[in-house]
Amino acid sequence: MQSVQIETEQQVVVKKHARLLKFLHDCKHFIITQKIGFVSILIILVMIAIAIFAPVIAPYDPISQNREAILTGPNAEHIMGTDDLGRDVFSRIVYGARISILVGFGSILLAIVIGTILGLVSGYFGGIIDMVIQRIMDAILAIPALILALFIASLLGPAVQNVIIAIVIISIPQFARIVRGEMLRVREMNFVEASRAIGANPFRILLKHGLPNMLAPIIVVASLGFGAAIIAEASLSFLGIGTPPPNPSWGLMLSNASRYMETAPWLVIFPGLALALLVLALNLLGDALRDFWDPKLSL
Amino acid sequence: MVEYIFRRLLYGGIVLFIMVIFIFVVMRAIPGDVVMLQLADASNVSEAQIAALKTELGLDKSIVSQFMDWLKGIFQGDFGKSLWSNRSVTEMIAARLPVTLELTFLSSIIAIFIGIPIGVISAVKHNTWTDHLLRIVSIGGISIPNFWIGLVLLLLLSLVFNWIPPLGYQSFTANPIVNMQQMLLPAFCLAITLCASIVRMTRSSVLEIMHADFIRTVRSKGVKESIVVYKHSLRNSLISVITIIGLQIGTLLGGAVVIESIFSLPGLGNLIFEAVNSRDYPNCSSFRSYLRCNVFTCEFACRYYLWLD
Repeated sequence: MQSVQIETEQQVVVKKHARLLKFLHDCKHFIITQKIGFVSILIILVMIAIAIFAPVIAPYDPISQNREAILTGPNAEHIMGTDDLGRDVFSRIVYGARISILVGFGSILLAIVIGTILGLVSGYFGGIIDMVIQRIMDAILAIPALILALFIASLLGPAVQNVIIAIVIISIPQFARIVRGEMLRVREMNFVEASRAIGANPFRILLKHGLPNMLAPIIVVASLGFGAAIIAEASLSFLGIGTPPPNPSWGLMLSNASRYMETAPWLVIFPGLALALLVLALNLLGDALRDFWDPKLSL
Repeated sequence: MVEYIFRRLLYGGIVLFIMVIFIFVVMRAIPGDVVMLQLADASNVSEAQIAALKTELGLDKSIVSQFMDWLKGIFQGDFGKSLWSNRSVTEMIAARLPVTLELTFLSSIIAIFIGIPIGVISAVKHNTWTDHLLRIVSIGGISIPNFWIGLVLLLLLSLVFNWIPPLGYQSFTANPIVNMQQMLLPAFCLAITLCASIVRMTRSSVLEIMHADFIRTVRSKGVKESIVVYKHSLRNSLISVITIIGLQIGTLLGGAVVIESIFSLPGLGNLIFEAVNSRDYPNCSSFRSYLRCNVFTCEFACRYYLWLD
């Protein structure tokens, strides 16, 4: 009896090793075949590091005003210049990365969880539940995303968590749709039918058989959605209903900059570059992941 | 086919209804009351004044009866009146519509004429450096926020040429030159995003068709490569490209809020933004349903096209 126990434990260890090895092998393969994707991972990691270590990196407080240095151009003291209240642009961009990444990551994570649950339920049970969920998703998709976000954000008032809620709502349908499609496909597979035949409960089938088979498309959509969420946050803040001032949000900085465009072009250029670089890296990563897993995946 | 159309219409109807209710409820739930906003100027407001204004605007009835009134109006083609300017909502939409239509038309033309050729080139030169470069550029088009591109273009114009487009809006018939000066820049900014999705769609569907059996047959007949690409592949891949264009045009018609605010164009997006900000209930809700119909027709036209094929 005891020997049987030991054997199975060893097997488990071997299995874990095999999984790790396969993962490492996949990583190596990804780096070799998808160079652009690898570079974008590096860019994203650097951005995340900047966001985490913002207090160390930023030379000034992002909110403190300096009456002596109002609208000064890039120089040795302020490498990206200062804004109309004498705040250091570089420090504000560094702290702004925190808000962008927090909003993007938070909202996409929530949207994945809710969207996946809705999609799994909708795809597995079908029938009237499917019909109701899909019509609600259609209704959300029917309104242009930014305008829906605008409605929700102004309903809840300007605050970071409200921006997250608005973005979660506009990004749920894409996850629900893709997961539902995959679930319909997985449901018809032989092993799922087999486990249904031996009486496994639906919850187990969804978690054990459904989810692992649709991780790839979810990650791809998440990577693209992350970028879209960051743009949405910037757009809402630009319109003045997103992150409230004086928080250093990139969208807010751009909206402020548009008033001083001719006298202080650096205010327009730097926050926009940071925004574009991060979103570009996320989209390139999503694209590379799609190519890597399944070039035929049409998302 | 008749059954198919009927089912689509029914689904569309259900979606429309959910949306109408949703927007109605959301608009009423937004903190800040239109009555309070309108009376904000007056220093001392009596209870009687508030009540009088409420009755005048029809806000003293219960939410349900307000909704029923408004719904009845819609079926009679009457979207209600703006709570601020006393103009009918239909009239306000009609005033803004030309701007949005022109913007949508211009930007889709620009996007199609740039996007499709680039997509085809990218597919033909599959996996060469041209393809990789075009791919990065097209993903860049999706990634870079179009309002930033708008700002940078304005900045360049003012710094290099010392010229900025005249503000406001003049209709094309009144003054074509000024109209073009005002519209081309925002249309270009909107076109970039649309263009990027057209490029990606064209590339992937042309690639897919190029590997189809019939293309090999055509090639083996000795047909010139350019004819293979343009006559056989592109033509067959246009269906999915047209679907994407249709969907995106639906979104564009919904108004480009940020771009319109940067270039101060009085389009639909701008009107929606103002309506939300001033709590103009009838204005908001009617408009959304109206736009929804728009998107729905576009989508439907595309599906119909797909079916035709």
